[in-house]
Amino acid sequence: MKTKQMMNITMLIAISILFHLIEATIPLPLPIPGFKLGLANIVGLVALYLYNAKVMLSVNMMRVLLASLMRGILFSPGFWLSLCGVLLSSIAAICAKRNTSMTIFGVSCASSAFHVVGQVIAVTIIYNQFLMGALLPILLLLSIPTGLLTGFFANQVLKRIQTER
Amino acid sequence: MNKADKIFIGLVVISAILLYIPLFIQDSQNKHKQKEVVVDYQNEEILRVDLNKDETYRVQASLGEVQIEVKDGAVRVEKETSPYHLCSIQGWVKDTGRPIICLPNELVVQIEANETGEDDVDTVIQ
Repeated sequence: MKTKQMMNITMLIAISILFHLIEATIPLPLPIPGFKLGLANIVGLVALYLYNAKVMLSVNMMRVLLASLMRGILFSPGFWLSLCGVLLSSIAAICAKRNTSMTIFGVSCASSAFHVVGQVIAVTIIYNQFLMGALLPILLLLSIPTGLLTGFFANQVLKRIQTER
Repeated sequence: MNKADKIFIGLVVISAILLYIPLFIQDSQNKHKQKEVVVDYQNEEILRVDLNKDETYRVQASLGEVQIEVKDGAVRVEKETSPYHLCSIQGWVKDTGRPIICLPNELVVQIEANETGEDDVDTVIQ
């Protein structure tokens, strides 16, 4: 049982790395720096609902670490932006699931909104400027539809996985 | 979606609007002041020019030359080298609240209100 769970988590990490790398190559529909769909977060949410908070954190952290290694941006500013965003978004999702009565849609929105906040904080610290603050409201508003989208996908995945069990 | 989800989404939308208010106020205050285009590279100012003078400027940034065009009281990044060309897609900007940020090039183009503009000069008649 222990080995099977470990295998499943490894598979989840592999899928999320794939999503992370694919997402980096898709051209963006809106010319706003920092805006993206957050497809990799689908896997994080699935991990949170299938297993527990610890598994989600490890899946997300391993994803950022390995995907950055593959793209060759480990320990560059882009890596720290990713790490800061994913840390805050994971913590927000875990807190939202544990402490409130939100469904997967709300949890997904919380995690995408806090991903934006984390990235803006990282930009402010690394580049030592408050200019990204001007983009924060727009990014926050955009994080709601993308959060709902990832929540919807994660919901569909969970439905199908649970019926197979 | 249940009630808690909707409350959370509402909170995010309200906070986004609240964050936008200071930018809006700052922008309306700066409306009649003389404006300048400021270009920062790696946090250091490398170019400061008048927004009302039409011209194209070239600066060196991390990934190569960046062309900045000033025309009719607006500024844009005309040509640059970067993976997604986000800053040239962004197009013309004429407010103080919206900087053009090009992170791959570590370049920031921003419009600033001139503090020592014509508004500060008072006429004294004796």
